[in-house]
Amino acid sequence: MRKYTHKTHNSDDLTILQMRPASQVMQLERLGSFHQSRLSFMRTLVRRMVAENWQISSPVFDLDEQGYGTVVYQVEAKYGTFSYVLFSHYLDPDNRNDRVIADQWDLTMGLCEGTVDAEQLDFLRNNVPKQEAGRVDSRVLVLSRANRSARTFEYVVNELAHGHQPDVDVIAEVGYLYRTTAAYGSGKLGMADWEKVWTKHRDFARPFAAEMFTCYMLRHFSMQQADHLASQRAPKSAVALDEDIKRYIGIGNSTGLGMAPFLINHPLLINQWIEMRETALATVIAASAFGVDEVILTRLDTATQRVIQHLSEIITTDERQSNANLLVREELQLLHLWLQEQGAVLATKHYVWESLTQYAELHWGVETQEVINTLLIELYPELVDRLEEYMWVDESHQVSPEMPVAELLEVIEDKYDWALAIDFSKQESIGTFWYRSAEKMEPRLGQTNIDMGMDKEMPLGIGRCVRECYDRVYDYNQTRSKQNVAHFIVQNPTYSGIVGRIQTMAQSRYGDIRENLVHTDVLPIHLLRCKLSFFGVSKFDPRSRLWVRNTMFQGAPLISDFGKLFVDDWQFPIKPVLTSG
Amino acid sequence: MGFQPGDYYDAADMVVWSQTHGFDSFGRLMEALAYLNTTAPIHADLVQEDRHNYVLDGRGSSVLLCGSEAVDLIRSQVIQGSSAALELINCYNRTFIIQRLVKAAQCNFAFVTCWRQLDCCVKVSIAAGAELPEYQTFRMIDVFEPQSLRIFCGTDLEAIETQYAPQLEFGTLVESFSRTEMMDCYKNSVEHGIEIDEALWQTLDDLGARILVESTEGSRAGAGD
Repeated sequence: MRKYTHKTHNSDDLTILQMRPASQVMQLERLGSFHQSRLSFMRTLVRRMVAENWQISSPVFDLDEQGYGTVVYQVEAKYGTFSYVLFSHYLDPDNRNDRVIADQWDLTMGLCEGTVDAEQLDFLRNNVPKQEAGRVDSRVLVLSRANRSARTFEYVVNELAHGHQPDVDVIAEVGYLYRTTAAYGSGKLGMADWEKVWTKHRDFARPFAAEMFTCYMLRHFSMQQADHLASQRAPKSAVALDEDIKRYIGIGNSTGLGMAPFLINHPLLINQWIEMRETALATVIAASAFGVDEVILTRLDTATQRVIQHLSEIITTDERQSNANLLVREELQLLHLWLQEQGAVLATKHYVWESLTQYAELHWGVETQEVINTLLIELYPELVDRLEEYMWVDESHQVSPEMPVAELLEVIEDKYDWALAIDFSKQESIGTFWYRSAEKMEPRLGQTNIDMGMDKEMPLGIGRCVRECYDRVYDYNQTRSKQNVAHFIVQNPTYSGIVGRIQTMAQSRYGDIRENLVHTDVLPIHLLRCKLSFFGVSKFDPRSRLWVRNTMFQGAPLISDFGKLFVDDWQFPIKPVLTSG
Repeated sequence: MGFQPGDYYDAADMVVWSQTHGFDSFGRLMEALAYLNTTAPIHADLVQEDRHNYVLDGRGSSVLLCGSEAVDLIRSQVIQGSSAALELINCYNRTFIIQRLVKAAQCNFAFVTCWRQLDCCVKVSIAAGAELPEYQTFRMIDVFEPQSLRIFCGTDLEAIETQYAPQLEFGTLVESFSRTEMMDCYKNSVEHGIEIDEALWQTLDDLGARILVESTEGSRAGAGD
């Protein structure tokens, strides 16, 4: 049931939107079922690059016959010039490791402001390949690294060298030539702080825009390197990669627990992302108030069939994901039939999208529901795309020290009822703890009372912290009900952090993620997928409950497409049907 | 060091703001760490309270630990009345308080704070809604406890200056650090980053290592192997 209302961001438009409630949206399983949308950062970046016709050249392309060396791409964006500096190294296959604990990679890259002279290039060459062990300066916006796919890279180069295009089925099985394993920004390792990025560089003044661009350029290089190697090996017979295959090649990504703390430590930002996505959904549902155009129904049907094909082309060994994909396909098939049979009637029906989403909520799985929501958002770019400007928020917490402690209790009971409903006296409710390993500070999970490190637990169990705070405030209120939060904090200073969080998040629409993250059976993979969906990845392939492989920019336009007519519908990529050779 | 999430977020904000705005907070932080590193966190005690006045005892600790409590306490009183005064006694690293005042000023509170520094008195004023304070150093003419900090809070800066005028009488102006200078420092920090000397970096690194858990083959499984 949609019970909250919300005005749109356009002051001229006083439409009252029916927003989904936090109790529905903020369940971890649902967040872990989200897919890329028009508001995802890769999508907005690509729209911007294509529309603004960014010019990308390579003043340095110094690769040897084995593809090792240095490349500098110069990027002329709308508001500034940037340099994407890449180092390609030999890597013993035995040392190829996607984990954060790795210390060698096939490629290392940095995105820098301005142009790069010989002196800076030397400095970067001495530091970028070291990644976390190196130090850069505030001219660098992003550091990243990548490893070759053992399954596709050599295969593609060999095929091209022999004058053939690679088999699309082989590409489909993997989806990329390189996997990126991290993209660091926002002041880490000496880089420019986010404050600098968003105040000085308008081209990247959105969350993760610079990081996503770094991955996009990696994709471009991966295909350029494959072409280069093929022509080096067989100058007479080699062919260049087909453009349609290029568009179908993305960048692989492995994401593990390192991403999970971000979602817990940036609750206001996550709330903002989710609120914008939900605003988009509510907006398109409202747009069907008086029926919908038959063209839109046809587009939905076409997109539905594409998702069915997309999911059928995903190869995953994860049984849960495999079953989920199968179920989504079956349920989307029913949607397809419904659209085919009822199309003419639906066009005139009031609030058809509300009927559809409510039907899906009653009869279909969460993954299918969220696919449908994503598809609906796709149908109305003119209503949705403006929300991309609101994906950032000031994240400072604000304590309301004057709030009476009795009112704080009421706030907790109202906004954190989900946390108070958890029985933390049960062993399984506190069966897991999070900690950082001395091995490159990697976040890891431990079993309570079994593994080492409980005394150094990371404070990610927000539900448990809220429960402890509530109990303390409750006791305090018994004897000092006239006092306020400021007094409570002076008497109980260790609760200042959680009180500030509760008061801050209580004012947000969606609040904290509603899950006990220290439960024995917690599924961190849902956290990862939620964030990755806002990045804009596709083809989720969980490798365990702790890490997931996925694909970035698969289906996206190429640099050669910039400035051309562009239909922004590259989500849910499917195998291309080659028109040549 | 035993800082809790609320403490360390606030402390980090104080240090970064001070350093980026030209107050050499890294030097102060180095001194603070030398002390904080040797003791469990000590928070302030509320030792005196009436309708418009508070006295908090910092018990020899740093403003990094008790600055937020002090500012929250006084502004909770101002919301209920028109003005309030707070004295934080027995505390160190008082310059760090400025960031808390700047943040609170964004919620429409005005502040004047002062403390003794050697033979002078530092006075910091910020109007409600202002983004930067006025920072001045005067000759001292009054008896001032060496490790105390006085905060006066209201919603109007001129009204505070008037109401608490007897307690804000100082000698001649020695120097001031203008808002323009602070902003220049800030812009320079954003553009070029901030330098951390080797000793402080090493200290922070050593402190950070305390929260890390030794890696074992078994623990690697807890990250996805």
